[in-house]
Amino acid sequence: MNKLNIEPITQGKVSIEVKDTPTGVAVVIVGDIDMQDPSVLLDPLFEKIHTGSIEHGFKTVEANVRQLTFLNSSGIKAIAKWIMKLPSVPADKKYQIKIQQNKDITWQATSLQTLTFLVPSGVVIE
Amino acid sequence: MDKIEKEQPGYIELKFGPRWKYIAVVRAFIQNFLAISFTDPTLADKIAMAVSELLENAVKYATGDDETGVSVKLNSEGTSVIVSVTNSSTPESIASLQSNWGSAMEGEPLAAYIKKMQESAVRTDSKSQLGIVRIRYETGAKMSLDVKGNKVTITLEHTSK
Repeated sequence: MNKLNIEPITQGKVSIEVKDTPTGVAVVIVGDIDMQDPSVLLDPLFEKIHTGSIEHGFKTVEANVRQLTFLNSSGIKAIAKWIMKLPSVPADKKYQIKIQQNKDITWQATSLQTLTFLVPSGVVIE
Repeated sequence: MDKIEKEQPGYIELKFGPRWKYIAVVRAFIQNFLAISFTDPTLADKIAMAVSELLENAVKYATGDDETGVSVKLNSEGTSVIVSVTNSSTPESIASLQSNWGSAMEGEPLAAYIKKMQESAVRTDSKSQLGIVRIRYETGAKMSLDVKGNKVTITLEHTSK
């Protein structure tokens, strides 16, 4: 189990696992997110990661989407919602989201970079 | 002497009852159809994404069991594609789409996309309102919205440079 005690999730064509890293945690998302309302799955997950990261004083949270082959716009909304929580975090508790991408997947090459504009210092793509 | 025949323009048309579970199947089919037609494989992915987003809207806001139609037409050189998605919808949903369409088409595509993402992030309902602006930004296609009665048709035209 990881530091945040978040269980692995498999729903439809997507599986999600949270793993420990030296500076925080990594959320690894694999498959397709094309369900009608992914917020039911993603919003509570990202909220747990967000509050847990603040409580534990993590410096970084990795979002590994290298094997996420499809993400619909409702899924993009869920990620944007998570990112938009960052500005309200107290300065001494701030953490950075590192989105790990796969440029061979077309939607990632075209869309992921746009997420960095939401909170420029809070998100990096690597 | 071998006779070289000029290829005819390619096209497909699909009609289906509005069911969410069909969207991924149609997306995969269209991606495969376009992948054998274009030399740029990313274009097939982008257009398939666009069709998927349009079908999500069509299925979410369809009235009853009225069919949803998808049409994909290529020119004979395989350098341009016209995609249309047609469905029936309620006056309320059509008004909402027209409002979203107006703001999604304002200004530069990237700026419009970022603005819509910021707005989407604070929405409390299950809508994202990101599909149209995402298509505009990611495909670079010329887009049009046509409403006739309760029939809504969204058309994309993309030409390779």
